[in-house]
Amino acid sequence: MTNESSGILIDINNLVKNYVMGRETVTILKGVSFQVEKGDFVAIVGPSGSGKSTMMNVIGCLDTPTDGSYKLDGIEVRGMSENKLADIRNKKIGFIFQGFHLLPRLTALENCELPLIYRGLPAKQRRAMAMKALEQVGLGERVHHRPSELSGGQQQRVAIARALATNPPILLADEPTGALDMKTGQEVLQLMEDLNRQGHTIVLITHDMEVAHRASRTVIMRDGVLTEERRDRDEADAGVQDGDQERLVKQA
Amino acid sequence: MKLTQGFRMAIKSVLSSKLRTALSMLGILIGVATVIALVGMGQGSTKQVEEQVASLGTNSLSVTITGRGTATSLSLDDAMALADIPNVEGVSPTVSGSATVKYGKNSTSVTVEGITPDYEQVSDFSVQSGRYIASMDVKNTQKVALIGVDTATELFEEEDPVGKTIQVNGSRFTIVGLLEAKGSSLTGSNDEKIAIPITTGQKLFDSVGVRTVALKVTDLDLMDITVAALEAKLLEKFRGDDSSYRVFNQQDAVETLNSVNETMNTMLLYVAAITLLVGGIGVMNIMLVSVTERTREIGIRKSLGAKRRDILFQFLVEAVVISGMGGALGIGFGYLGSYVIGVVNGTDTSVPFNTVILSFAFSAFVGIVFGIFPANKASRLKPVDALRHD
Repeated sequence: MTNESSGILIDINNLVKNYVMGRETVTILKGVSFQVEKGDFVAIVGPSGSGKSTMMNVIGCLDTPTDGSYKLDGIEVRGMSENKLADIRNKKIGFIFQGFHLLPRLTALENCELPLIYRGLPAKQRRAMAMKALEQVGLGERVHHRPSELSGGQQQRVAIARALATNPPILLADEPTGALDMKTGQEVLQLMEDLNRQGHTIVLITHDMEVAHRASRTVIMRDGVLTEERRDRDEADAGVQDGDQERLVKQA
Repeated sequence: MKLTQGFRMAIKSVLSSKLRTALSMLGILIGVATVIALVGMGQGSTKQVEEQVASLGTNSLSVTITGRGTATSLSLDDAMALADIPNVEGVSPTVSGSATVKYGKNSTSVTVEGITPDYEQVSDFSVQSGRYIASMDVKNTQKVALIGVDTATELFEEEDPVGKTIQVNGSRFTIVGLLEAKGSSLTGSNDEKIAIPITTGQKLFDSVGVRTVALKVTDLDLMDITVAALEAKLLEKFRGDDSSYRVFNQQDAVETLNSVNETMNTMLLYVAAITLLVGGIGVMNIMLVSVTERTREIGIRKSLGAKRRDILFQFLVEAVVISGMGGALGIGFGYLGSYVIGVVNGTDTSVPFNTVILSFAFSAFVGIVFGIFPANKASRLKPVDALRHD
C-alpha cells in the first residue's frame, strides 16, 4: 500500500451540473467539491434523486460538468473533446455497473478484452492482460463462457475483471451489489476490498448505508450537495474483518 | 482500433443474428442476382445478333426495287452497270419468289432466288458439292438449280441431290450443286431455298427487272461515298422518283441493332440500380433497428473507451459486410440464373467478368452509403443516455 506517498487522484471543485428539461433548467449538482486520494476506497451514499448518479457520470467522464473544475489525475477534464474523454475513460477509469453491462454475445474473455481492443493493443497482449484480470477475480476457468452461462455474482466478477484489465488508476462502481443477492453481494464487496488493499483506488456509489460502510470513507450526497463526510468507521462495522482494521490503522 | 479487428468484430456480430442478416441481405442479393442474370442474357443476345450480322458481311449494301412497271424497274443490264461505281467490288442482282418444288412424292414450298455467278462472292455463299451457277447458265436461261441443305434433306432425305431432277412450279430443273449450310440470318433461313439463274428466275416469276441488288464494297471507310454515288445513279435512272427504290446499308443495320441492344442494356442497368437501391434501403432499415436495439451496447462500448469513429466504423463495416455478403451470394445466384435461363431458352448467356466485379463493388458501395446514416446515428449517442437505455 502506498497511500501516504500518493497525491490526489480526483479533484473536484465547486462543480455544477445543469440539465435542461423542456424549458426549465434543473440543477442537479450544486457546487460540489470532493477529493479522492490514490488508494482511497470512497463510498458516495445518497437517496435516489440526490444526484449521486450524475456525480458518478461526471467522475466517469460519461457526462461533462456545466461549471466548476474537475481534475482527474492532474488533468482538467472540463471542456475536453468527446474523443479525449473516450481516451480518458479507456485509460483512467474502470467501470463496474449495477447491471453488469456485459455484452451478451461475447465470452467472458472477449468482454474483458473489449477495452483493450479500443486501446489498440495486439491480440496476444490483450489476451494475456484479460486472462490475468479474470484470474485476479477468480474466474480463470470460466473464461470461455458467455454471460448467460454465468451466475449473477460471476457476471459481476467478469465486469470487475473487465474494469481491471486496463489497469486503470480508478475503479468506479455504481451500485455493484444492486442486482445481486446478499451472499454474492458480500462476495463482490469482499473482492473490492481485496482490490483496494492491493492498491486500487475505488469510488463506490450506493444508496445502501451498509454497503457504504465497507468503504474506508463515506460521503453523503443530498439534493445535489455533499452534506456529510465521514472518515471513521461506524461502530457497527468495527472489527468485522482484519483487512478493515488494517486499513483503519493506516487511515488514522 | 485496428481494421482487421473491426472486420472480425463486425462479421461476428453479423453472424450472431443470422435470420436478420439473411433477411436484410435478401434485397441486395436479389438485386445483384438480377443484374448478373439479365446482363448475362443481354450479352448473350448481343453476341448472337452480332454473329448473325457478321455472317451477312458488314461491307455489303443492298438495293431493293419497290416500284412496278417499266419506268421504275431495273433491268439486269442496268443492275450490272452498277459495278462501274467506284469502290464497288461486286454486284449481285436477284429476283425471288416462292415456289413449290417436287421430287418424287416429296414436295415443299421454298424461296426461289434467281441469281448471277457473282452471288457466290457478294453474298459469301458457296456450294459444298457440285458446281455453281455459271454465266453460261444465265445467258442461256438454263434450267439448273442449287439447293439449300434443309430443302435437300426434305426432298431427298439421305440421297445425294446433285444431278437429280426436280420440278419447280411444274418445270423440270436439274440440280447442279448443293449449297453449304449457313444457318438462319435476320432475313430468314438460308438453308431452305433453291437458287436458279436470274434469267430463268425472271421467266419463272414473269418479272421484267430485278428486285434486289446486293453490292459489295472494297473499302468500308468509303461506304458513305459509295452509298451517295449509288443513290445518285439510281435517282438518274428512275428520273427523280426516289420512292421506288431503297438502299439498305448493312453497316446501318449493325448500328441500329447495336443501339437497340444498348438501349436494352441501359434499361437493365436502371432496373438493377433501382433494385439495389431498394436493397440498400432494406439494409439501412435493419441497421437503424439494430442501432436502436443495441443502444446499450453502444453505451457500454463508449464507457469502455470506444471513440466516435470506432462506433461509426463498427456499424459501417457491419452494413458493408451484410451487403457485401448479399452481393457475393447474389453473384452466385445470378450465375445460376443466367445458366438456367440459357438452358431453358436455348440461347447463349455470358456474364462478363467486369459486370460481376462492378455489381459486387456497387453492392458494397450501397452498404457504405446506406450504412452511413445509421452508423452516424449510433456514433453520436451520448454515453450517459445510451447506458440508461433499456
